[in-house]
Amino acid sequence: MIHFMKGCAIAASVAMGVLASSGPLQAAPDDGLINESSAALKGKKVAFVPIAMGFDLTEAWAAGLKLDAQRFGYELTIRDPNWSVDAGAQAISQLISEQPDVIVVHPPEIQAYTRLIQQANAAGIPVITVSLKADANGDVFVGPDWYDLAVKETESMVKFCGKDSGKSGKIAVMQGVLTNPTSQYGIQAIEATLKDHPEIQIVSNQAADWDASKAHAIASTVIKANPDLCGFIGLWDNMDVGIAAAIKEAGKQGQIYIASSGGGNQVSACDNIESGNFSSYVSYDAKGQARDLMMAVRAILQNKPTTPGEHSVGLYTPLKVITKETMTADSCWKLEDVKKFGP
Amino acid sequence: MAMRETLTRLRYRFVPDHILGEILAKSWIDNAIPVAILILTLCVLGSMIPGLVAVGSLLGMSAQFGELLLVVMAMTIVMLAGGIDLSVGSVFALANFVTLALFNMLGWPILVVIPVAILCGALVGLVNGILIGYLRLRAFLTTLVTLIIVRSIVDMFILEYAVKVARPTTLSRIWDFISFKRVLGMPVALIVCLAIAILAHLTLTRLRPGWHIMAVGGSRRSAFNAGLPVRRTIAMTYVLSGMLAALAGVFYASRLNAAGSDTGVGLEVLALTAAVVGGNSLGGGRGSVFKAVLGAIIILILSNSLLRLSLPTGGTSAVLGFVLIAAVAIDVKWVKHRDKLQTSVYVSPTFLALGKAPETAEGSASPYALNNLLKDVELIGLGEIDGPEDPILDAAGNLYCGTRHGDIIRFFAPDFTSKEVFVHTGGHPLGLAFDRDGNLLACVAGMGLYRIGPDKKITRLSDQTNRSWLSVIDDSRMRLADDLDIAPDGRIFFSEATIRFDMSDWMVDALEARGNGRIICYDPSTGSTRTIMDKLRFPNGITMARDGESFFFAETWGCCVSRYWFAGARTGQREVVIPDLPGYPDNINRASDGGYWLAMVGMRTPIFDMALQNPGFRKRMVERVAPDEWLFPNMNYGCVIKFDENGRITDCLWDSRGTNHPMITSMREHEGWLYLGGVSNNRIGRYRIPGGDPTWTAHASYRGEAR
Repeated sequence: MIHFMKGCAIAASVAMGVLASSGPLQAAPDDGLINESSAALKGKKVAFVPIAMGFDLTEAWAAGLKLDAQRFGYELTIRDPNWSVDAGAQAISQLISEQPDVIVVHPPEIQAYTRLIQQANAAGIPVITVSLKADANGDVFVGPDWYDLAVKETESMVKFCGKDSGKSGKIAVMQGVLTNPTSQYGIQAIEATLKDHPEIQIVSNQAADWDASKAHAIASTVIKANPDLCGFIGLWDNMDVGIAAAIKEAGKQGQIYIASSGGGNQVSACDNIESGNFSSYVSYDAKGQARDLMMAVRAILQNKPTTPGEHSVGLYTPLKVITKETMTADSCWKLEDVKKFGP
Repeated sequence: MAMRETLTRLRYRFVPDHILGEILAKSWIDNAIPVAILILTLCVLGSMIPGLVAVGSLLGMSAQFGELLLVVMAMTIVMLAGGIDLSVGSVFALANFVTLALFNMLGWPILVVIPVAILCGALVGLVNGILIGYLRLRAFLTTLVTLIIVRSIVDMFILEYAVKVARPTTLSRIWDFISFKRVLGMPVALIVCLAIAILAHLTLTRLRPGWHIMAVGGSRRSAFNAGLPVRRTIAMTYVLSGMLAALAGVFYASRLNAAGSDTGVGLEVLALTAAVVGGNSLGGGRGSVFKAVLGAIIILILSNSLLRLSLPTGGTSAVLGFVLIAAVAIDVKWVKHRDKLQTSVYVSPTFLALGKAPETAEGSASPYALNNLLKDVELIGLGEIDGPEDPILDAAGNLYCGTRHGDIIRFFAPDFTSKEVFVHTGGHPLGLAFDRDGNLLACVAGMGLYRIGPDKKITRLSDQTNRSWLSVIDDSRMRLADDLDIAPDGRIFFSEATIRFDMSDWMVDALEARGNGRIICYDPSTGSTRTIMDKLRFPNGITMARDGESFFFAETWGCCVSRYWFAGARTGQREVVIPDLPGYPDNINRASDGGYWLAMVGMRTPIFDMALQNPGFRKRMVERVAPDEWLFPNMNYGCVIKFDENGRITDCLWDSRGTNHPMITSMREHEGWLYLGGVSNNRIGRYRIPGGDPTWTAHASYRGEAR
């Protein structure tokens, strides 16, 4: 009798176990990888240290990561240093001691976080750098080739101000933070490209630290000092709107060319092209980068490098040039859509 | 009624009201607020952020902590001298740039680079120091200007060289060690910083330059009047500040190897917030390195937590701003009200029910019956001395007394018209006694027990006793040594009237009526000092009984005389000899007829006796009424009584009008005369004792017993 009871109990529990485990199996068949790959993401810890939150690029990337975090059940923490290099360094040091499974870093300067990235790698934590290239490669880099980007901007500028254009050939360069790769590789590209075009000369080369109001102040002065200025090369849309405003105030819209670049957000890119604020725009499609970043994180979590930092993968973003002529309905993306529907 | 009285008695026996005031009087109480803030910060943020207080998390912050603490110390040192240094953030950036430029770009050896970078900081500090210390410019504006100028210089260099300085061209093992290595789990920056903190603490608390800084910050004018080099001291604080901020910049360079234009931006506000949150006063003169450390920890944890809470853009700065405002407000209010608060809570009366006061009416049968025998005393040194608490005569008949000015005056025998300052002690000499070798022993209020040889050489015998474990006040120090006598074996027993009040406030002790006093024994054979009885109500006069094994002592607010045996069969026993006196007893001394003279410093009044049973009333009085309106014991009568070994009153002398000798604190019999002293009098009185033995001296009396 007792044996019988025991047998019943075992049978019942086995049946229940089968029932319980067969539920999801029935819903989604195992293709041999999908279950394994999503299980590898569950419960992992992903940390993201942007330069700052609150602008299109970082918001788009974060939206992508948040989506994956929800879908796969990994834990995403975002530490916002709000433009302070030191606060960012503090956040990364802190994270190294917390030992997450991957750190995503958006470095404000080439050098500032180099040592910290190396330290994180040395502590066994894989590092993905996004958008701005640091001197340390980490495990994955997702972002544009800044040299190529500046070459493209300069070429469009040369078209407008160069030989046979009948213009003065005077141009101004507005850099961001000087120690930032955009500015550092960008200025090298601009100078190299202009070598073949001696008719074009740089009359002003200043840094506005990514700040639109600073850019506005500098541009106003430059326009006053050079009434025959032909164009501005700006290196980031959110800053370059300051230049555009200064040109508008001087009543020279259409006369002074603005080559800008950025993440291709509808408001910052296409709307400005449409309104004539920007003359040309090189987009590195932050929405696409968000997807690249999601995939890079997934890849690292599924296949953690044995020695982080030993082999580095470069996922350079394809660039596209947007002008009034080349602009289409899907040239840009909208932040609220990315937030709602994912990249 | 009896029930209520018992309850009141128990409440005042077991609730230690006096401790609050004593805690507030401690110098470390200034640290209480920052420590409370730290605990609060840790509790609130620790519950919001999991793992905040974990060891790993704290270690992650340790390098930043080292840098921040250096800058906070820089700010603190300047603030201690009464200034402010806003240029620390710019100096930090300058040193960072100089280090990277010299090392990465020019390839200088790192052991040269670091001193040069610190020197740059020192130079900026020197400019600040000269402008503020020597040319007397306003610290705030001057350092604001250097903040801007140095920042601009750094920005100009960065525009030109930012790219080059960040690329290391040379390798240095020392630099790598500073940058990456941890010793005992701590980064080099933190170790160096802690070493400097200890050094700075020692300098500020133990060394002359540190004391100068505190003095100048406390009161610039007083420091100047005291002859301190005020200008040089102020200038020096800015140089130190520049050097510390520069060193922090060097460590920043080693940590990040980056010369961004936002390096050190806003650091001055962060450091200022930390210094003030830690409890360093903006007004100068009040603060410590420990407070700087506390403040740096609080701010680091706070800023780190805000970072982790991912506040919306600008939220972190806003919170830090609020913290600074709150800290400044607390600082201002605390400095302003601490003394007020302490004074209002310090006096803490307790319950005391004295027995019924004996009759003193003139013509009554009472042994204390009023007379006017002291109305015609001879006066010695009228108007020439102030506060002869205890007159005494030497073997040659010269008269000695202490004065409020800190002297012991000697009047020469036989007529006492000429006098000299025998010695200057520095405190108010109260009880006096001669030992067998002719040395004068003195209890000096505020100082302790001293011996003065016939050659006028002053020797300190004792100024501290054993510290009791549960006392908040440091009761090892002697605050009010009062009267003494010497046992035949050479031990000196002396009373300390109260451990809670200084000489100037001795009468406030009456409002408390707590046993705040004690009797202390100094043993010259071992040099040791021990408290033998405590919790006495203002123990005052002490004199040796003739058995050589005990002494009589009076408790002023207890209105009684007791006897204590320090040797023989009854060692350690205590017995009340006269329980309820009509007044407040002071010194006791031997009389020629085998009895003892006892001075009454004042007389009891029914109203004050009643007030003693109403501690709440006295507390309210102290809190609400100005001190000169307080109800004090009546001190306007002069009275000396004589009692025998058994405590029977055998004689009583009054100055009923209180004109010659109100408030008699002591008396000495010598060759038929009685010499009267009073702690508030400007004279010594001399009264011919009817039938007094014209050959009797105290010396002989004591020598006889020694034989």
